[in-house]
Amino acid sequence: MPEENVDVLIIGSGHSGGMVAKVLTEKGISCLMLNAGPIVDFQKDRELKPAYELPYRGFNMPGRLPHVFQANEFNANTWVDEKEVPYTFNRDEPYNWVRVRLFGGRSLFWSRQSFRLSDYEFKARDHDGFGDNWPISLADLAPYYSRVEEIFRVSGHPDGLPQYPDGNFVVDDSPWSGSMQRLIAAGKKLNVPVCKARSAMGRGGLASSINLLLPDAFATGKLTAVPNVVVREITVDKNTGLANGANFVDRHSRREMSVKAKVVVLAAGCLESTRLLLNSKLANSSGVLGHYLIDNIYGPGVVCSVPEARDGKATPDLMGGDALIPRFRNIDGKAKNFIGGYALNLWSSDRAMDPRNFAAYGAELQKKLDSYYGSGFYMSMMGQVLSHYEHQVGIDKNVVDAWDIPVLHVDTKYTDNEFNMSRDAVDTGVAMAEAAGFEVLAKNYEPNPPGYSIHELGTCRMGDNPKTSVLNKWNQSHDIKNLFVVDGSSFVGSGWQNPTMTILALSMRSAEYLAEQLRQKNVG
Amino acid sequence: MSETAPNLIEQRGSLGFQSPPIPATVPDAVAMTEQHYFHAEHMATLRKLGDVLLPPLNGYPGSTQACAPEFIDFLISVSPAERQHMYRSGLDRLNADAQKHFGVPFAKVNEEQADTLLRPWLRVWMRDHPPTEPFAAFINVAHEDIRTATMNSQAWSIAATSAGERAPGIGWYWSPIDPDIQMYV
Repeated sequence: MPEENVDVLIIGSGHSGGMVAKVLTEKGISCLMLNAGPIVDFQKDRELKPAYELPYRGFNMPGRLPHVFQANEFNANTWVDEKEVPYTFNRDEPYNWVRVRLFGGRSLFWSRQSFRLSDYEFKARDHDGFGDNWPISLADLAPYYSRVEEIFRVSGHPDGLPQYPDGNFVVDDSPWSGSMQRLIAAGKKLNVPVCKARSAMGRGGLASSINLLLPDAFATGKLTAVPNVVVREITVDKNTGLANGANFVDRHSRREMSVKAKVVVLAAGCLESTRLLLNSKLANSSGVLGHYLIDNIYGPGVVCSVPEARDGKATPDLMGGDALIPRFRNIDGKAKNFIGGYALNLWSSDRAMDPRNFAAYGAELQKKLDSYYGSGFYMSMMGQVLSHYEHQVGIDKNVVDAWDIPVLHVDTKYTDNEFNMSRDAVDTGVAMAEAAGFEVLAKNYEPNPPGYSIHELGTCRMGDNPKTSVLNKWNQSHDIKNLFVVDGSSFVGSGWQNPTMTILALSMRSAEYLAEQLRQKNVG
Repeated sequence: MSETAPNLIEQRGSLGFQSPPIPATVPDAVAMTEQHYFHAEHMATLRKLGDVLLPPLNGYPGSTQACAPEFIDFLISVSPAERQHMYRSGLDRLNADAQKHFGVPFAKVNEEQADTLLRPWLRVWMRDHPPTEPFAAFINVAHEDIRTATMNSQAWSIAATSAGERAPGIGWYWSPIDPDIQMYV
């Protein structure tokens, strides 16, 4: 028999849940963390194998994970199976919901690109005349970004650009390779900045909640973690209207259980947290819950070759390294057919090129692959998606998951703004490559389906007005003051940036606010 | 009081037991895939397509030597209907084009004739974005499949090792992690 209610119930163990657990337990607050999936063991659960030893020779198992383009036969077992936890969408508007339910969530596998949002995003309505401003600005979040960057050891170089705010970096002063220098020079001609990439170095090869956040929380003795439990709904005290715990189901046995807590923090990942609130019929007096689904545009890009690196002439001085073109459109001027902005990831490679970059076969293709080996230069877009009320998720009452929990229906699509932005990104990349003297081999204007970036955001947005937002600026429910939602669902706008640093900074800020509210006995 | 299971295990010494290494062989090393999905004409077309697109080169096996057509026959047999249709209609079209232009099935065309039929449909493309025209999609996706099935074969790996080169297709394989014990499909 459990002895007493925990102070704070945290649902989810990824970056945001891990951060909340670290902050609260270090202040002496007891936390219980529930996670839908198992604990992963990097030594036991994975091994190096050749593709020919796998059942499908390295092809993904046909029909498995059709909406996880990142999946292959090597990593297929790390993603949520769409048959086990389905979701629905309109026939002609596919959505790629890419999920991980392992303990640590998607923090186990993220790309580690580490950016701050700027006030071009926080105050997008003021700048672009579209969407809404966040209830906070960069100045509010900057101190938290700094602390997060220290924990995650973000490498980067200060560039002094307002749209690419500098941070608390492990300073990257590495020299540019020759190919990058040529692209930088081309960018200057076209007034496009090329900067050092920014990336979380983490520790020991990982930049996850399981190695950077949760060990500190466990060390306090204040964190209890339960894997393999799927939360069905948040429970509410009928007398007070406050959240008082959760009902959950054991993943393996299907045993139904419940737990009580003084405060509930949702950190299950953007759409899972929103799904849980919708299924619990909570926190939606505004009617906004589930609306304003956004993400980042991924997919458009350019593949080039550096002619001087061909035929065995690639050297470390000429090839190698990565860079980032931060947003440059709609800063001072106005793009002709889109608002918002995008960035381009750049990387110079001394490795083999993809055969798909050549319209050839057989001996001719092999000759090309040999000649072009080590000369690849790549650009890929990360673009902002505009927030629309009608881009939304809701509960599909006709479909349930493996634990009889109703699933989400996703109703969203990209609009002309995203398609026009994509075209501009690729055309800009081509123009820069040509100005640098590179050969453009391939280009793609078509975005991948919404969701592909694994940056789903919004649907539980923050704001000052309880009639138009679900959360206040502290990630606290307007309706239920002891309910917090700390993952990416609180975002008002996406920006072009990988959202991880912002999710971490927001969850740190929210947890410190919650700790103070608990101390003052305003909640709990 | 009866002994608990852990005690019994300990007494029998299995707690300290180390599994001996048992060398395993993949079935492809000792057996052929039983071809069953494509009919004979389709299979002959696919084999020829593999020979043309990825012949043996520089000591490495080609499509046929890596048994790529037989593997693709299996792979497509368990694939979604859309991909099955793309392959079947693509192979039909290739054969029909060969008959129309040269009066022979694709399996019988010479090198120059094959090039005449295939080259107009070769495209440059990027991952996740294959050509949208159906026949171009078939030619280019089949090309990629043939290359993958060949280069991920054990035969290719052996050739790479013999050449002192790193074999492609080696990666971190994740086993099922504490998988759900209940059937849910």
